[in-house]
Amino acid sequence: MGRGDEIIHQQTRLQIMATLNALPNGQAIEFTRLKAIVQATDGNLGAHIGTLENAGYIGVKKDFVGKRPRTRISLTRSGRNAFVRHVDFLRGILDEHAAPDHPAENA
Amino acid sequence: MTLSPQDAASALRDIETAQARSATLHGYARSSPHLLLWGVLWVIAYGLNDLYPTYGRAIWAAIVPIGLIGGFVMLHQAGLGAGWRYGGVAATLFGFFYALFAIMGPASGRQVGAVIPLALATAYVLAGIWRGPRFVITGLVIAALTLAGFFFLEVHFFLWMAGVGGVSLILAGLWLKQV
Repeated sequence: MGRGDEIIHQQTRLQIMATLNALPNGQAIEFTRLKAIVQATDGNLGAHIGTLENAGYIGVKKDFVGKRPRTRISLTRSGRNAFVRHVDFLRGILDEHAAPDHPAENA
Repeated sequence: MTLSPQDAASALRDIETAQARSATLHGYARSSPHLLLWGVLWVIAYGLNDLYPTYGRAIWAAIVPIGLIGGFVMLHQAGLGAGWRYGGVAATLFGFFYALFAIMGPASGRQVGAVIPLALATAYVLAGIWRGPRFVITGLVIAALTLAGFFFLEVHFFLWMAGVGGVSLILAGLWLKQV
Protein backbone atom coordinates (compact mmCIF):
# COMPACT_ATOMS: atom_id res chain seq x y z
CA MET A 1 0.00 0.00 0.00
CA GLY A 2 1.33 3.44 -0.95
CA ARG A 3 1.58 6.45 1.33
CA GLY A 4 -1.15 9.01 1.61
CA ASP A 5 -0.74 12.47 0.10
CA GLU A 6 -0.71 15.15 2.81
CA ILE A 7 -1.41 17.91 0.29
CA ILE A 8 -4.46 16.23 -1.19
CA HIS A 9 -5.93 14.86 2.03
CA GLN A 10 -7.04 18.18 3.53
CA GLN A 11 -10.86 18.17 3.20
CA THR A 12 -11.36 21.14 0.84
CA ARG A 13 -8.43 20.14 -1.34
CA LEU A 14 -9.75 16.58 -1.45
CA GLN A 15 -13.10 17.92 -2.69
CA ILE A 16 -11.36 20.12 -5.27
CA MET A 17 -9.35 17.18 -6.58
CA ALA A 18 -12.41 14.89 -6.64
CA THR A 19 -14.43 17.52 -8.50
CA LEU A 20 -11.72 17.99 -11.12
CA ASN A 21 -11.14 14.26 -11.43
CA ALA A 22 -14.83 13.78 -12.36
CA LEU A 23 -14.40 16.01 -15.43
CA PRO A 24 -13.41 14.51 -18.78
CA ASN A 25 -9.67 14.67 -19.54
CA GLY A 26 -8.50 18.17 -20.39
CA GLN A 27 -11.73 19.86 -19.27
CA ALA A 28 -11.56 22.82 -16.92
CA ILE A 29 -14.06 24.17 -14.41
CA GLU A 30 -14.80 27.81 -13.64
CA PHE A 31 -13.88 29.15 -10.22
CA THR A 32 -17.49 30.10 -9.40
CA ARG A 33 -18.77 26.61 -10.22
CA LEU A 34 -15.99 24.98 -8.20
CA LYS A 35 -16.77 27.31 -5.30
CA ALA A 36 -20.40 26.18 -5.31
CA ILE A 37 -19.46 22.51 -5.39
CA VAL A 38 -16.96 22.60 -2.54
CA GLN A 39 -18.95 25.30 -0.69
CA ALA A 40 -15.93 27.40 0.23
CA THR A 41 -15.42 31.15 0.39
CA ASP A 42 -13.47 32.94 -2.34
CA GLY A 43 -10.44 33.43 -0.09
CA ASN A 44 -10.41 29.92 1.29
CA LEU A 45 -10.81 28.33 -2.14
CA GLY A 46 -8.15 30.62 -3.61
CA ALA A 47 -5.65 29.58 -0.93
CA HIS A 48 -6.26 25.86 -1.48
CA ILE A 49 -6.04 26.28 -5.25
CA GLY A 50 -2.68 28.01 -4.72
CA THR A 51 -1.41 25.07 -2.65
CA LEU A 52 -2.49 22.52 -5.28
CA GLU A 53 -1.07 24.64 -8.10
CA ASN A 54 2.29 24.93 -6.32
CA ALA A 55 2.34 21.15 -5.98
CA GLY A 56 1.80 20.87 -9.74
CA TYR A 57 -1.51 19.07 -9.29
CA ILE A 58 -3.74 21.61 -11.01
CA GLY A 59 -3.41 24.25 -13.69
CA VAL A 60 -5.03 27.69 -13.42
CA LYS A 61 -5.86 29.82 -16.44
CA LYS A 62 -7.14 33.38 -16.20
CA ASP A 63 -8.77 35.18 -19.11
CA PHE A 64 -11.65 37.48 -19.96
CA VAL A 65 -15.05 36.70 -21.44
CA GLY A 66 -15.99 40.10 -22.79
CA LYS A 67 -15.12 42.35 -19.86
CA ARG A 68 -15.74 39.69 -17.23
CA PRO A 69 -12.64 38.05 -15.72
CA ARG A 70 -12.72 34.26 -15.70
CA THR A 71 -10.57 31.77 -13.80
CA ARG A 72 -10.56 28.17 -14.99
CA ILE A 73 -9.01 25.26 -13.15
CA SER A 74 -8.06 21.86 -14.48
CA LEU A 75 -6.28 18.76 -13.24
CA THR A 76 -2.75 18.11 -14.49
CA ARG A 77 -1.58 14.62 -15.42
CA SER A 78 0.56 14.50 -12.29
CA GLY A 79 -2.45 15.68 -10.22
CA ARG A 80 -4.66 12.95 -11.64
CA ASN A 81 -2.02 10.32 -10.87
CA ALA A 82 -1.52 11.66 -7.34
CA PHE A 83 -5.28 11.66 -6.73
CA VAL A 84 -5.65 8.07 -7.96
CA ARG A 85 -2.76 7.02 -5.70
CA HIS A 86 -4.36 8.74 -2.72
CA VAL A 87 -7.73 7.07 -3.36
CA ASP A 88 -5.93 3.72 -3.60
CA PHE A 89 -4.25 4.50 -0.28
CA LEU A 90 -7.63 5.23 1.36
CA ARG A 91 -9.19 2.08 -0.08
CA GLY A 92 -6.16 0.12 1.06
CA ILE A 93 -6.78 1.19 4.66
CA LEU A 94 -10.38 -0.03 4.46
CA ASP A 95 -9.37 -3.29 2.74
CA GLU A 96 -6.72 -3.95 5.34
CA HIS A 97 -9.19 -3.30 8.13
CA ALA A 98 -11.78 -5.56 6.49
CA ALA A 99 -9.29 -8.46 6.06
CA PRO A 100 -10.09 -11.32 8.48
CA ASP A 101 -6.71 -11.44 10.20
CA HIS A 102 -6.00 -7.65 10.26
CA PRO A 103 -2.34 -8.05 9.19
CA ALA A 104 -1.50 -4.45 10.17
CA GLU A 105 -2.58 -5.11 13.74
CA ASN A 106 -0.61 -8.39 13.87
CA ALA A 107 2.58 -6.91 12.46
CA MET B 1 0.55 9.57 6.94
CA THR B 2 -1.56 7.57 9.38
CA LEU B 3 -5.32 7.38 9.12
CA SER B 4 -7.96 5.35 10.92
CA PRO B 5 -10.40 3.28 8.82
CA GLN B 6 -13.14 5.73 9.88
CA ASP B 7 -11.14 8.70 8.55
CA ALA B 8 -10.43 6.83 5.31
CA ALA B 9 -14.12 5.93 4.89
CA SER B 10 -15.15 9.52 5.59
CA ALA B 11 -12.65 10.84 3.01
CA LEU B 12 -13.90 8.36 0.41
CA ARG B 13 -17.49 9.49 1.08
CA ASP B 14 -16.45 13.13 0.56
CA ILE B 15 -14.78 12.16 -2.70
CA GLU B 16 -17.85 10.31 -3.93
CA THR B 17 -20.17 13.22 -3.07
CA ALA B 18 -17.94 15.81 -4.77
CA GLN B 19 -17.49 13.64 -7.87
CA ALA B 20 -21.24 13.02 -8.22
CA ARG B 21 -22.05 16.72 -7.83
CA SER B 22 -19.29 17.68 -10.25
CA ALA B 23 -20.46 15.21 -12.90
CA THR B 24 -24.10 16.34 -12.58
CA LEU B 25 -23.27 20.04 -12.84
CA HIS B 26 -20.88 19.39 -15.71
CA GLY B 27 -23.67 17.53 -17.54
CA TYR B 28 -26.04 20.45 -16.96
CA ALA B 29 -23.50 22.99 -18.20
CA ARG B 30 -22.77 20.88 -21.29
CA SER B 31 -26.46 20.57 -22.17
CA SER B 32 -27.36 24.20 -21.53
CA PRO B 33 -26.28 25.71 -24.89
CA HIS B 34 -28.08 22.93 -26.78
CA LEU B 35 -31.37 23.71 -25.02
CA LEU B 36 -30.90 27.41 -25.66
CA LEU B 37 -30.28 26.76 -29.35
CA TRP B 38 -33.27 24.43 -29.76
CA GLY B 39 -35.47 26.78 -27.74
CA VAL B 40 -34.75 29.60 -30.17
CA LEU B 41 -35.28 27.27 -33.15
CA TRP B 42 -38.60 26.06 -31.72
CA VAL B 43 -39.79 29.66 -31.37
CA ILE B 44 -38.86 30.35 -35.00
CA ALA B 45 -40.09 27.08 -36.53
CA TYR B 46 -43.36 26.74 -34.62
CA GLY B 47 -44.00 30.47 -35.06
CA LEU B 48 -43.56 30.21 -38.84
CA ASN B 49 -45.58 26.98 -38.82
CA ASP B 50 -48.48 28.87 -37.22
CA LEU B 51 -48.26 31.65 -39.80
CA TYR B 52 -47.80 29.32 -42.79
CA PRO B 53 -49.33 25.95 -41.85
CA THR B 54 -49.13 24.54 -45.37
CA TYR B 55 -45.34 25.01 -45.40
CA GLY B 56 -44.75 23.08 -42.17
CA ARG B 57 -42.57 20.38 -43.74
CA ALA B 58 -40.39 22.90 -45.58
CA ILE B 59 -39.99 25.04 -42.47
CA TRP B 60 -38.84 22.12 -40.33
CA ALA B 61 -36.68 20.71 -43.13
CA ALA B 62 -34.77 24.00 -43.06
CA ILE B 63 -34.68 24.48 -39.28
CA VAL B 64 -33.71 20.97 -38.11
CA PRO B 65 -30.39 20.88 -40.04
CA ILE B 66 -29.50 24.28 -38.56
CA GLY B 67 -30.02 22.84 -35.08
CA LEU B 68 -28.02 19.72 -35.85
CA ILE B 69 -25.10 21.63 -37.36
CA GLY B 70 -25.22 24.14 -34.49
CA GLY B 71 -25.14 21.31 -31.94
CA PHE B 72 -22.23 19.66 -33.72
CA VAL B 73 -20.27 22.93 -33.78
CA MET B 74 -20.90 23.48 -30.06
CA LEU B 75 -19.61 20.00 -29.22
CA HIS B 76 -16.56 20.59 -31.37
CA GLN B 77 -15.87 23.98 -29.74
CA ALA B 78 -16.18 22.42 -26.29
CA GLY B 79 -13.45 19.99 -27.31
CA LEU B 80 -15.61 16.99 -26.43
CA GLY B 81 -14.91 15.11 -29.63
CA ALA B 82 -18.26 13.30 -29.50
CA GLY B 83 -19.37 14.25 -33.00
CA TRP B 84 -20.03 10.69 -34.12
CA ARG B 85 -22.24 10.09 -31.08
CA TYR B 86 -24.18 13.26 -31.84
CA GLY B 87 -24.62 12.10 -35.44
CA GLY B 88 -25.69 8.69 -34.17
CA VAL B 89 -28.32 10.18 -31.87
CA ALA B 90 -29.68 12.37 -34.68
CA ALA B 91 -29.83 9.44 -37.12
CA THR B 92 -31.53 7.22 -34.51
CA LEU B 93 -34.16 9.84 -33.74
CA PHE B 94 -34.76 10.49 -37.43
CA GLY B 95 -35.14 6.75 -38.08
CA PHE B 96 -37.46 6.32 -35.09
CA PHE B 97 -39.81 9.14 -36.05
CA TYR B 98 -39.80 8.10 -39.71
CA ALA B 99 -40.79 4.54 -38.72
CA LEU B 100 -43.30 5.77 -36.15
CA PHE B 101 -45.18 7.95 -38.60
CA ALA B 102 -44.97 5.28 -41.32
CA ILE B 103 -46.67 2.81 -38.97
CA MET B 104 -49.14 5.17 -37.29
CA GLY B 105 -49.76 7.60 -40.17
CA PRO B 106 -51.28 9.46 -41.80
CA ALA B 107 -50.67 12.05 -39.10
CA SER B 108 -51.71 15.70 -39.17
CA GLY B 109 -49.14 18.46 -38.76
CA ARG B 110 -50.61 19.09 -35.33
CA GLN B 111 -50.06 15.47 -34.31
CA VAL B 112 -46.49 15.46 -35.60
CA GLY B 113 -45.89 18.80 -33.87
CA ALA B 114 -46.99 17.27 -30.56
CA VAL B 115 -45.53 13.76 -30.76
CA ILE B 116 -41.94 14.83 -31.45
CA PRO B 117 -41.64 17.22 -28.47
CA LEU B 118 -43.42 14.66 -26.31
CA ALA B 119 -40.88 11.97 -27.27
CA LEU B 120 -38.01 14.39 -26.63
CA ALA B 121 -39.51 15.34 -23.26
CA THR B 122 -39.66 11.63 -22.39
CA ALA B 123 -35.99 11.30 -23.35
CA TYR B 124 -35.16 14.20 -20.98
CA VAL B 125 -37.02 12.54 -18.13
CA LEU B 126 -35.27 9.21 -18.75
CA ALA B 127 -31.86 10.88 -19.01
CA GLY B 128 -32.61 12.87 -15.86
CA ILE B 129 -33.27 9.75 -13.83
CA TRP B 130 -29.58 9.00 -14.29
CA ARG B 131 -28.05 12.41 -14.81
CA GLY B 132 -29.86 14.87 -12.58
CA PRO B 133 -33.29 16.14 -11.51
CA ARG B 134 -33.17 19.30 -13.60
CA PHE B 135 -33.49 17.18 -16.75
CA VAL B 136 -36.50 15.39 -15.25
CA ILE B 137 -38.24 18.68 -14.43
CA THR B 138 -37.45 20.09 -17.89
CA GLY B 139 -38.93 16.99 -19.54
CA LEU B 140 -42.06 17.04 -17.39
CA VAL B 141 -42.68 20.73 -18.06
CA ILE B 142 -42.25 20.33 -21.83
CA ALA B 143 -44.51 17.25 -21.84
CA ALA B 144 -47.22 18.96 -19.76
CA LEU B 145 -47.18 22.10 -21.93
CA THR B 146 -47.29 20.05 -25.14
CA LEU B 147 -50.23 17.95 -23.93
CA ALA B 148 -52.07 21.01 -22.62
CA GLY B 149 -51.67 22.78 -25.96
CA PHE B 150 -52.65 19.73 -27.97
CA PHE B 151 -55.81 18.91 -26.03
CA PHE B 152 -57.04 22.38 -25.09
CA LEU B 153 -56.11 24.52 -28.08
CA GLU B 154 -58.01 23.75 -31.25
CA VAL B 155 -56.34 26.59 -33.14
CA HIS B 156 -52.90 28.16 -32.74
CA PHE B 157 -51.35 25.04 -31.21
CA PHE B 158 -48.15 25.89 -33.09
CA LEU B 159 -48.17 29.40 -31.70
CA TRP B 160 -48.51 27.88 -28.22
CA MET B 161 -45.54 25.60 -28.86
CA ALA B 162 -43.51 28.55 -30.15
CA GLY B 163 -44.32 30.86 -27.26
CA VAL B 164 -44.61 28.47 -24.35
CA GLY B 165 -42.65 25.38 -25.48
CA GLY B 166 -39.76 27.28 -27.06
CA VAL B 167 -39.48 29.79 -24.25
CA SER B 168 -39.58 26.96 -21.69
CA LEU B 169 -36.64 25.31 -23.44
CA ILE B 170 -34.73 28.60 -23.35
CA LEU B 171 -35.50 29.05 -19.65
CA ALA B 172 -34.44 25.45 -18.99
CA GLY B 173 -31.17 26.12 -20.83
CA LEU B 174 -30.52 29.16 -18.63
CA TRP B 175 -31.40 27.17 -15.53
CA LEU B 176 -28.99 24.37 -16.43
CA LYS B 177 -26.27 26.97 -16.77
CA GLN B 178 -26.72 28.02 -13.15
CA VAL B 179 -24.59 26.37 -10.46
